Amino acid sequence: MQFIANGFIYRKSNSIIHRLDPRIKLLISIQLFTLALLVSDLYNLLVIFTAITIFSLLGRITQRLLRTMIFATGFSALILIINYFAGYSLIYSIQIALRFISIVCSTSLFFLVTSPDELEYVLRWFRLPRDLVFAFVTSVRFVPVILMDTLQIMDAQKSRGLELEKGNPIKRIKKFVPILVPLIINEVIRSGELAEAMESRGYGISKNPTSLYSLKLSNFDIIVMISTIIAFTSIILLVY
Amino acid sequence: MSVKDLIRFDNFSFKYNSRNDKVLEDINLNIKKNEITVLAGPTGCGKSTLLRAIVGLIPNMYEGEYTGEVTVDGIRIRDAEIKEIAKRVGFVFQNPENQIFMFSVERDIAFGLENLSLEQEIIKNRIEETMKTLNITHLAKKAPHELSDGQKQRTALAGVLAMEPKILILDEPTSLLDPKTATEFMELMNKLCKEREMSIIIVEHRLDLVLKYADRLIVLSNGKVISNDTPENVFDYKKEVIPELSVPFSTKLYRELAKNSMKFSKPVTGVEEMIKEVKK
Repeated sequence: MQFIANGFIYRKSNSIIHRLDPRIKLLISIQLFTLALLVSDLYNLLVIFTAITIFSLLGRITQRLLRTMIFATGFSALILIINYFAGYSLIYSIQIALRFISIVCSTSLFFLVTSPDELEYVLRWFRLPRDLVFAFVTSVRFVPVILMDTLQIMDAQKSRGLELEKGNPIKRIKKFVPILVPLIINEVIRSGELAEAMESRGYGISKNPTSLYSLKLSNFDIIVMISTIIAFTSIILLVY
Repeated sequence: MSVKDLIRFDNFSFKYNSRNDKVLEDINLNIKKNEITVLAGPTGCGKSTLLRAIVGLIPNMYEGEYTGEVTVDGIRIRDAEIKEIAKRVGFVFQNPENQIFMFSVERDIAFGLENLSLEQEIIKNRIEETMKTLNITHLAKKAPHELSDGQKQRTALAGVLAMEPKILILDEPTSLLDPKTATEFMELMNKLCKEREMSIIIVEHRLDLVLKYADRLIVLSNGKVISNDTPENVFDYKKEVIPELSVPFSTKLYRELAKNSMKFSKPVTGVEEMIKEVKK
C-alpha cells in the first residue's frame, strides 16, 4: 500500500519542474489530461507517454511515477479484458487501457511535483472561498497526524490482545471497531482544539487576508507556458 | 482599574450551557503588566475556562451563563470582537500539533499575520525577527511532521509571538518537553517577558520548573480562587500547604528545615535558591 501511495506523494526537490510556477504545472497536467481524453490512436497516445516521461525525467520523479503506472496498469488490464470480452477489437481495447494509464499519470505528475503549500496558492489564485481552501489544506496537513494516531491506537489495542490479522474478512473488518471508535473520538477532540487555535489566531477576522508569498510568473515560466500551449494546440489540430 | 492592570476579573462567573454547575464562580483577579503569573490547580478546577475567558473564546465560541466582567488591556471581553482580542492576547495550547496549520514553519508563523491583513513586507520582517528570537531560522522550510516536539512547541509559540501580543498565555507548555528543554523554554519566556514587556500567564502542574520565574502564583480549586500571592508567600513555612498544590521538593525541604529552626532569608521555591540559602 505504501509502495502505491508513494506514487502520488510530493517529495521536496529542486528540479527544473519543481521550480516551475504551480499554475504552469497545473496547466501542463491539464493539457496532458485533456490530450489523453481526446486522442484515440496508438501513435498519439505514445506521444503523450513520451511527454509524460520527459517531464518525469526533468522532475526526477521517474521511479515514483513508475509506481503510479504499476497501480494504473492493474486497473487498465481489467479495462482491457472487459472491453475485449464486450466485443471490441484488441487494438481498441489496448488504446482504452493506455488512455486510462495516461490519465492517471498526468494527474499524478502534478501532485508529485507540487507541494501542498503551492497547491493552496493555486486554489487561492482561483479565488475559491477561503473556508473551502482552508478545509482542504488542514485535511491534507493532518493526514500524517491521523495516520500516527491510527498506528498508536492499533499498537495499544494489539498490546491488549486484539488480533487484527486473524479470522475471515468479515471478522477482520469487525475487529477494526475498537480502533475506529477511539480514533473518531480523538479526531473530534482535535478538531475542537484546532477551532480554538484558529479563532485565537484571528482566522476569519478579515475578508481579504494577505499572503506571505504571491504567485509570480518568471520568464522561464512564460516560455514553458507558451511552448506547451503551442505543442498542445498543434496536437489538437493534427488530430482533428 | 489600576494603570498597571492588564487583565481584570470582576465578580466573574461562568456556566457552560452543557453543564448544570458553574465552572468558575465569583472570580476577582488582576494581572499586572510585565509579570509572569503561574496558574495552578487540580484537573477540572476551571483553569482552561479562565484562559478561554481571557482570549475571548468565552463568550464568542462557547455559549453559557456569563456574569461579571473580564477586561483585557482596557477592553471589555463581553463586547469585544475576536479581532481586537487576537491582537492583544496570544494563546499557546498544550498540544502544539493542533495549532500548526500550514505545511512549513514560516507559512505557519505567517498564518495569524495574514489574518490580520498585514502587508507582505511586514509579514516577512515579523517572521524573520520571531524566528531569530526563538532560534528556529533553520526550520523555516521544514514541514510539521519533520519537527521534534520541542521544535513544534517553538513553532506554535512563534506563530503567536509574531502577532506581537501584550499578553501571552501558555497552557502546560512543558508537558511534552524533557527537563532540559523545558528549562530552556522557561528561560526564553523569562527573557521575552523582560525584553518585550509582555505579561505571561502559564498553566503548569510541574511547579518546580516554573516557580523560579513566577512573580505571582494563582491557585484555583472547584472554580474559585483559593490563593493569589507571590510564590514565596504561598509556600512560607508558617502557612499551611494548599492541598491542591504539588509542592516542589526543594520547597518541602525548606519547610521541614525552617520548622526545625533553620534560618532562611526568604521562603525557598527552587533548587538554586536552596543551594544559595544553604551556602549562607
